[in-house]
Amino acid sequence: MNIWIIVALGSLTYASRAVALVLLPDPPARMSRFLERIPAPLFASLAATALFTPQGSLASPALLAATAGALVAVRTRSLLLVLFAGIVGYAAYTLGVLLLR
Amino acid sequence: MNRFLLLAAPIALAIGVFGTIFGAAATSLIGPELTVASSLIVFSGALQFAMVGLLLAGAPPTALLVTAALLNLRHLLLGAALRARISGSVLKRAGLAWFLIDESVALTLAVQERPAMTLVGSGFLFYFAWFVGTLLGTLGASLPQFGSVAEAIFPVLFVGLASISADRRDLKVRALAAAAISAILVMIWPAVRSFVPVVAVLPVIIPERGEP
Repeated sequence: MNIWIIVALGSLTYASRAVALVLLPDPPARMSRFLERIPAPLFASLAATALFTPQGSLASPALLAATAGALVAVRTRSLLLVLFAGIVGYAAYTLGVLLLR
Repeated sequence: MNRFLLLAAPIALAIGVFGTIFGAAATSLIGPELTVASSLIVFSGALQFAMVGLLLAGAPPTALLVTAALLNLRHLLLGAALRARISGSVLKRAGLAWFLIDESVALTLAVQERPAMTLVGSGFLFYFAWFVGTLLGTLGASLPQFGSVAEAIFPVLFVGLASISADRRDLKVRALAAAAISAILVMIWPAVRSFVPVVAVLPVIIPERGEP
């Protein structure tokens, strides 16, 4: 491992970040409608992926409790409330485990 | 501004915790100088943690580069999602691209006002948190007790962002389909988890028949 490998990794990473943002022209209306479809499935996919360990089994119960808490609040469509509900879910699980010990 | 800080602060804290964990893990493999350099130059938690895993397994540099290419595929989608909201010269967009990570794109799409400023503000904050966390890790800081809390922030954040982004019925259906495909793929084929978001999203964003 040397600095040049890190520079190569950094260059690849920056290029992947810049390609779409720099090379795509100002999108016409039809393309904009298509691009606006990306975020919801992308974030849902990232959330689902985060629920599993790198070995493919379910993540820790505390993480699942936090996610369940967040899901309770999704109808509010407020990111702050969802974050708060996630923290409450995590805390409730942790407290429950402590009380049951 | 207050709303931005309220949203960005817990994410920055979580990124800082992960930076510390990465710093401690990588220092024993590549030394403190290269560890800090990697956070300054690469600025990608997913790739840097993968780098540690591959180095531990004795992988050659080509494996690192192939992994980087695969892990970074999702940036193409993130960049495309942002492109509809970010205008300006090529130079300006090239500068903004440095700050394009999952969490900064997420905040930019969530806040909606002044997207370029939000991307730079959140990106810089997260870059700083990642750097400081890494530095503390190389100096011997250890935060294993906060690791699970930090880990729980990310699915919660993405659940919230998916719910905000899915403001129409068809988007809700597409989001649920992408989540289901992702969960199935990760369970049956965990080795591909790095590019599951790309594989899961592409089929669900295609236009329906007769759609303009």
